[in-house]
Amino acid sequence: MEGKRTRVDIIGDMLSSIVSKGGQIKPTHLMYKSNMSHGQMKTYIDDLVQKDLVKKVKKGNFDYVIITDKGHGLLQKLREMKEFENAFGL
Amino acid sequence: MVKVVFSPKWFWGKDIFIDAIALLVLLSIAIFATRYYRIKKSRNYLYLALSFYLIALSFFSKILINFTIYYQVLHTQIVGSIEYTQVILKSSEILAASGLFLYRLFTLLGFFVLYSIYEKQSKANVILMIYFIVISIFFSKEEYYVFYLTSFILLGVISNRYYQNYRKNKKKTSGMLAASFSVIALSQLFFMFVNFTKHFYVAGEVIQLIGYIILLVAFVTVLKHGREKNKG
Repeated sequence: MEGKRTRVDIIGDMLSSIVSKGGQIKPTHLMYKSNMSHGQMKTYIDDLVQKDLVKKVKKGNFDYVIITDKGHGLLQKLREMKEFENAFGL
Repeated sequence: MVKVVFSPKWFWGKDIFIDAIALLVLLSIAIFATRYYRIKKSRNYLYLALSFYLIALSFFSKILINFTIYYQVLHTQIVGSIEYTQVILKSSEILAASGLFLYRLFTLLGFFVLYSIYEKQSKANVILMIYFIVISIFFSKEEYYVFYLTSFILLGVISNRYYQNYRKNKKKTSGMLAASFSVIALSQLFFMFVNFTKHFYVAGEVIQLIGYIILLVAFVTVLKHGREKNKG
């Protein structure tokens, strides 16, 4: 990826990572897939939960992060934006 | 007297329809760019939205001028009084001249803002460019083709920029964008020669319509690709 990732880029990467795992992912996997530190990821997840973009659920002994409908909606917008940026060379 | 009507009479109304399509395409892109700006807060989106709003506004001015003139000329022909016709045409001439000024100003400013996204401008450059834009509009009052020549040059530079972007990323949508702006630039060349025959105006409008349709298709393809990726 070119240049420094913006906050929106990081959120996009996180949501994409969740979707690529079928809509739910373990926090550690999310951390590696989104290329983030533990502290960074915790802050972002709390923020995303607060904005109702993801949910945290417990399944057996494991925690999972699940993408919500609102999260899917935002991811779609972000992907449109990426296409838009590429087309217009922004 | 300022030359305001370029269209042959049989084309009256059809040109308004073509300009309305361009207006809708420009507004759609501007609205999406505004939405994206709200999410990302990137200045590029803000400038892109601003440039498309300005060009849309220019088309709105043009539609308003043409609609007013066509309607009034047709209306006075029906009424048939010479005195009434003169009064109406005098008032519509003032409206048309100011409308034409706004149309040209918004068009050139819009293209310049779009160009500035890719070629960063210093404050001094911005002031200089605005000065040259205003000067070229004043010259256009007497020699209308100066405006079309200026917009042709600005559009040419923008098209080249989009073509370079296409060469870099090889994306279909970038290619379509370069093509659409090139076609719109070409239409300005036709508008430059309307003094020879008004058929150049018709050709210019039709070519411009093709350019805006390509722009619309590029925009819809961008949205479609974004949505398709989300399903995967």
